[in-house]
Amino acid sequence: MVAAVPCDGDGDGTLTAPELATAILDSLDARYMGGTVAAPSLTDLQDAAFVYEHWDGRALTITDTSGRTTTLTRPLNRIALFNSDAIRMMRSIGLEPDRVVGVAKYVLEDPVFYPEYQEKANLGSVWSPDYEQTASVRPDAVFLYASVSETSCADIEKTLRAIDPAIHFFRIDSFRPAVYADEVRTLGLLLGKEEEAREFLAFHEDVTGTVADVVDTIPDEDRVPVYLETWNAYKSAGMGSGYDEKVWLAGGRNIFGENPVEYPVVDPEAVISRNPAVIIKIVGAGETTFGGYDDDDLASFESVLRSIENRPVWDRIKAVRDGRVHLIHSKIIGGPDYFIGTAYLAKWFYPDLFADLDPRAIHQRYLDEFQRLDYDLDDHGTFVYPA
Amino acid sequence: MLNSSIVTPKRALLLCILVVVLAAPAAAGSIERTITPQEGGLDITLTVNDIPVGGIVETLPEGCTWMGTDHPEDRTRVSGEKVAFAIIGEETITYQVQGPQDAAEAFAGTWEDLLTGDSGVVGLDEPGNPEQADATTPPSTPGFGCAAALAALAVLCSRRCGR
Repeated sequence: MVAAVPCDGDGDGTLTAPELATAILDSLDARYMGGTVAAPSLTDLQDAAFVYEHWDGRALTITDTSGRTTTLTRPLNRIALFNSDAIRMMRSIGLEPDRVVGVAKYVLEDPVFYPEYQEKANLGSVWSPDYEQTASVRPDAVFLYASVSETSCADIEKTLRAIDPAIHFFRIDSFRPAVYADEVRTLGLLLGKEEEAREFLAFHEDVTGTVADVVDTIPDEDRVPVYLETWNAYKSAGMGSGYDEKVWLAGGRNIFGENPVEYPVVDPEAVISRNPAVIIKIVGAGETTFGGYDDDDLASFESVLRSIENRPVWDRIKAVRDGRVHLIHSKIIGGPDYFIGTAYLAKWFYPDLFADLDPRAIHQRYLDEFQRLDYDLDDHGTFVYPA
Repeated sequence: MLNSSIVTPKRALLLCILVVVLAAPAAAGSIERTITPQEGGLDITLTVNDIPVGGIVETLPEGCTWMGTDHPEDRTRVSGEKVAFAIIGEETITYQVQGPQDAAEAFAGTWEDLLTGDSGVVGLDEPGNPEQADATTPPSTPGFGCAAALAALAVLCSRRCGR
């Protein structure tokens, strides 16, 4: 059974302006004017104001990325985020940090990028959740991934639901281009940040549209063949993986895009025989944990680049011969900031077609206007090499 | 360490006010009050800035009598010298009182933004603690002292500016 909308005087499921006005006056009367009329609590009144302003005075029913439908009659003000990507998407649409009560441990391990969240409760991770801590912060909503670690996320949900049946669970990914815009719009509605979501999506679509307008005119057979390697040597991206999708969006053709394994370990000989024109190496985790917002030194990037170029017989690969091996940090290609990375990829794939595209300026604007960080890419950070 | 001999009471007050101002939220709503003398009374216009849903409580000065308002009747409540307005999308509220024109400096009011949780004093640009505006309401929250300093400063400024 769905709870009632607060301050809905006649209980018809719609909070009207007269009902809200009466609730406001009753509350002011009781608190400031010595009135004795029965008044709503301040929490009820504030929740009612939110529902009236953002949800047209009615309960909100939304469907998340997993396809689950949830109905809410109050705003979410105690959010627990196991999905550490979602926090960046929420920050892009202006979520107030005081509405978040707990975050994944990765957020707490990155004080440079998440300074305002360093005092939040450590919920652990999707793979190793701290249930006691999570329950102790009394979340009204828990955010988990939709298509990553589905078993772990289901376990978390089951355990927490047993502790507190009132918790709402939402599954979003925040990193998949195919559902990215829908997720931003859903979060905007859910969090009362509709206008901010529209502004952020305009920026996002400006970047992705600029790239798409050009690469969509390139016939599939003329697309640049690309070998993408994740942070572990020879581990590539197969059919349906996020990186496969991002290479395509940037106008490339993933040479292992037909591989049914999402992240296949490939034979070095296969890379040589498929002779990619561009090689993209993802860094920032696993065997290549360096770079990003808290690392200003490009020495490790240079070292990894040389090691790729010096792999046995790889000097026969066109990309190596032509000096088109590029490293990119997962922070700007793997998560909700992926569109910055695809702008870099597009420029590397087609330097002549994207001569005016400035991915670094896009990155700086994203940090300034949407992540609201005081962070100057001229002074700090290492994300791509060579740029 | 500060040398106590160079921190005069006036300086201490100034420092206190400065700290309060610096600690105020960067973006928030506010309510401005404009008072226009009329024959036998005053017209008061409240301009609502960035408060889509909220409330205002005005305290009429002694000697003033409520006459009426252009605000909807079902969003207005009058009780003695107090008047409450519910704000739901309005940008201005005008009301009239009968009374002496020198009462203009003695209006007091508080506002609340129900979407952000911010509250403040009518006539000040920054949010503060609304309870300080009503001298008859005992202070009950920790921020009362600082908010009172702000209100005192506002009154002082308005009086000096009026000279």
